[in-house]
Amino acid sequence: MKKTAFLLTTLGLFIASCSSDDDNGPETLPITSEQVINLYAPQTGGQGQGEISGEFTKFDLATGEITTSTTEWDVAFRGTSIAINGGTETGMADEPERNGNAGLTVVTGTFNSVTTVQGLSFAQDSEGSFAIQTASEEGWYTYSGPPNHVISPIPGRVLVVRTRDGHYAKIEILSYYKDSPAEPELTSESRYYTFNYVYNPNEGENSLE
Amino acid sequence: MRRLFSLLSTVGLFLASPIVHSQGKDPDSTLTTQLKEVVLTATRTERQLSSLPLPVTLITKQTINQSGTVRLNEILQEQTGIVTVADESGFEGVQIQGISSEYILILIDGVPLVGRSAGNFDLSRLTVGNIKQIEVVKGPSSSLYGSEALGGVINIITEKPDTESLSGNASYRIGSNTTQDINLDFQQHYGPLRYGFFVNRFSSEGYDLRPDTEGQTVPPFHNYTFNGRTYLDLNDKLALFSSGRFFDQKQDAGITVDNISYEGDSKEREWNAHLRLDHKWNPKLETQYELYFTNYTATELLAEPLNGEVLSDSDFDQTLLRPEIRSTYTFTDNSKLTGGAGYQFDRLDRTYFDGKAAFESQYLYLQYDVNPLAPLNVILGGRFDNHSEYNDQFSPKLAIRYQLNEQLSLRSSVGYGFKAPDFRQLYFDFSNSAVGYTVLGYNVAVAKLMELEALGQISNILVPYSELGDPLKAERSIGYNLGVVYKLDKLSVDINLFRNDFENMIDTRAIARKTNGQNVFSYSNFHEIFTTGGEVNATYSLTDDLNLSAGYQLLYAYDKEKKESVKNGEVFARDPLTNQTLAIKGSDHFGLINRSRHNANLKLFYNLPKAAANMNVRVLYRSKYAQYDTNGNGLIDSYDSSFIKGNLLVNVAATKNIYKKFDIQLGANNLFDSTDENIPGQPGMQLFAKLNYQF
Repeated sequence: MKKTAFLLTTLGLFIASCSSDDDNGPETLPITSEQVINLYAPQTGGQGQGEISGEFTKFDLATGEITTSTTEWDVAFRGTSIAINGGTETGMADEPERNGNAGLTVVTGTFNSVTTVQGLSFAQDSEGSFAIQTASEEGWYTYSGPPNHVISPIPGRVLVVRTRDGHYAKIEILSYYKDSPAEPELTSESRYYTFNYVYNPNEGENSLE
Repeated sequence: MRRLFSLLSTVGLFLASPIVHSQGKDPDSTLTTQLKEVVLTATRTERQLSSLPLPVTLITKQTINQSGTVRLNEILQEQTGIVTVADESGFEGVQIQGISSEYILILIDGVPLVGRSAGNFDLSRLTVGNIKQIEVVKGPSSSLYGSEALGGVINIITEKPDTESLSGNASYRIGSNTTQDINLDFQQHYGPLRYGFFVNRFSSEGYDLRPDTEGQTVPPFHNYTFNGRTYLDLNDKLALFSSGRFFDQKQDAGITVDNISYEGDSKEREWNAHLRLDHKWNPKLETQYELYFTNYTATELLAEPLNGEVLSDSDFDQTLLRPEIRSTYTFTDNSKLTGGAGYQFDRLDRTYFDGKAAFESQYLYLQYDVNPLAPLNVILGGRFDNHSEYNDQFSPKLAIRYQLNEQLSLRSSVGYGFKAPDFRQLYFDFSNSAVGYTVLGYNVAVAKLMELEALGQISNILVPYSELGDPLKAERSIGYNLGVVYKLDKLSVDINLFRNDFENMIDTRAIARKTNGQNVFSYSNFHEIFTTGGEVNATYSLTDDLNLSAGYQLLYAYDKEKKESVKNGEVFARDPLTNQTLAIKGSDHFGLINRSRHNANLKLFYNLPKAAANMNVRVLYRSKYAQYDTNGNGLIDSYDSSFIKGNLLVNVAATKNIYKKFDIQLGANNLFDSTDENIPGQPGMQLFAKLNYQF
């Protein structure tokens, strides 16, 4: 996995920091915008090869790193399934235990247009279903079916996440294929996530820009 | 009106004259040919083409012969607004007014043909060797023909023998890819009996547009068509028509999976038996009693040649039986009342079905064709269909034509069309072994889903059982056509504007999720689409022997809900260069797959009477179209990468008559060798030579 990070200073952040100066409260941390490239999320089984199993690849939005911790994770990937560290296990094999209070909702818009979590309600994983559905057009991707069987992230679907410990973040999945080919084919190596995310390190703060 | 007929003759002469001249017949006979320019399909009665209030394309035997085409798809795609295109399933079908093949009814002598692959009717199954003419009525005609007649009706009319002596022709044609077409056709009018017999053999070594991959785009095949017809005048009131047709095709098939090559055959076989008794009660009342039977089978077996391991073994066996009775009463003012009633039994037995599936339906139709004023023609009709598997359908239609003056006439029509849910949409039971998804027909979905649930294969249900209980509705359309025809001396211009609105369109949706991560799909009514545009056809006779025609269709075809989403700024795409997400604008939204905005043709037919020869050039163009969504937003936009670019085809043919009885024809289809591996039905340049002997 390769990670590129850069700081984002936005107007919102500027206003936020001005006001916090007046409050004389604790210093506001800068919001980070990052891109994760080729996060590998393998699975065993599925696609006619029996029951899906295998470890999820867990990701910690606070550190921006893949983790094997059983508690310090927010979102986890296995094939096209995305689990969050909140709610209960859905009942599939080899799922990670949910011990945080993560939530997720899908907002339609460009990544930049999603600026706040104000007014959003969050779903959690539950018996029989993930907070974000693993089905073509229902969740984050469309599945082209025969002959190419390509998974395409739906442009304009922004995953807004409440992390396990009450921080907010937004995620935009860009590709499901290794090195993000412009036109994935049947032979392209899949289950490699590339996504943008923005994380607000200030607990409970609504802003995502 | 007489003036109109003579104008018509001038225009129609364009099509008829070259052959007539080359056959060395009396020029006077051309007039008779013109008056024969009658069509049956639009009203189920004989009507002069130019007097109809509906948009109809007529393709004559002369055009077919001069163009040197041998299969139905070839000649149809040379007509304005009619294109053949392969859909997502890979099968090719015809599209009219932007409406795809599954909504277009194919008839031979007024009775329907069955046997479709994923809704597509393969028109190359039909030879044009014994056709008198092809009639295409555009827009909905369910008021007469019931299900499937939404986009149009293509009716192939065979010839009624009229020569006392035995006459006919034999021909041999050979072309690129060792494509061979052999025809024998003979007929006779012998006292009260007329009979015709026709045999065709068509074969090709096929071609390959992707030489780097194993297997051919079109593998080698050969097929036979036999057709026998008799017409017996029992007395001056009763006449019996019978026709039997048989088609048999064998094509090589093969596929390589995991480095193992599987080989086999793909076979198709079709029977049609058509019996009709025409009863003239008196000069005013005629009744036809008709019985029609057809059976279509397709089988494919793929096995490893050495150890015999079977990869796939699929069967398709469809039977249709249809008795119908219809009558026409002609009133003293020459208005006509036509009514009919029939029963249809349709059965399909195929792989991936849970047993045999059968439909039964009964129907009634009525049509009144009247001229309340001399220049005004009104046709009012309607049909009621009662079906065993879905709700009853009533399909009305109104068409009006008004002759403003000798040059100008207006026509307008509005009609309903419907398509019954097909067998696949109701009874499919298919699980993909490689990927693991399941597709269930609507009628079997609940029971099969329960079975899968009992087997522990379902992780969660996405659509509750209660929602799967309502019956699937028939797909409906309403079509509007507005036309103007202008004729002056050697020029004729026909403009038609159309709009078709579809509702209840059936598509798949995920109804449950399996433990293997894949979905269970079933069918449901949800889409609403429209197709709209305009068509212009113009013909001009530069001289008696040089005729020019041009056609153009402009088409917009959209899913209404998607168009609304784009308007509301809810659809996004990623710019491939910057990977930035942006909202799709209305101008970026291209519309439905496989639709070209522009479709045009230019044809020149030149007759050289002194040389007993004729030649023609036909230029066909269709603009770019997209095959599928590539960027995951569920619609076709300018950021998608599956566009097939605009395509120009040039076809030429020349015929020379020698020793009166022989015709030699040379030609080239796709003269500039235009190919695209995504247009599987279009080989490169096809040269051909044909020798025809008439007796």
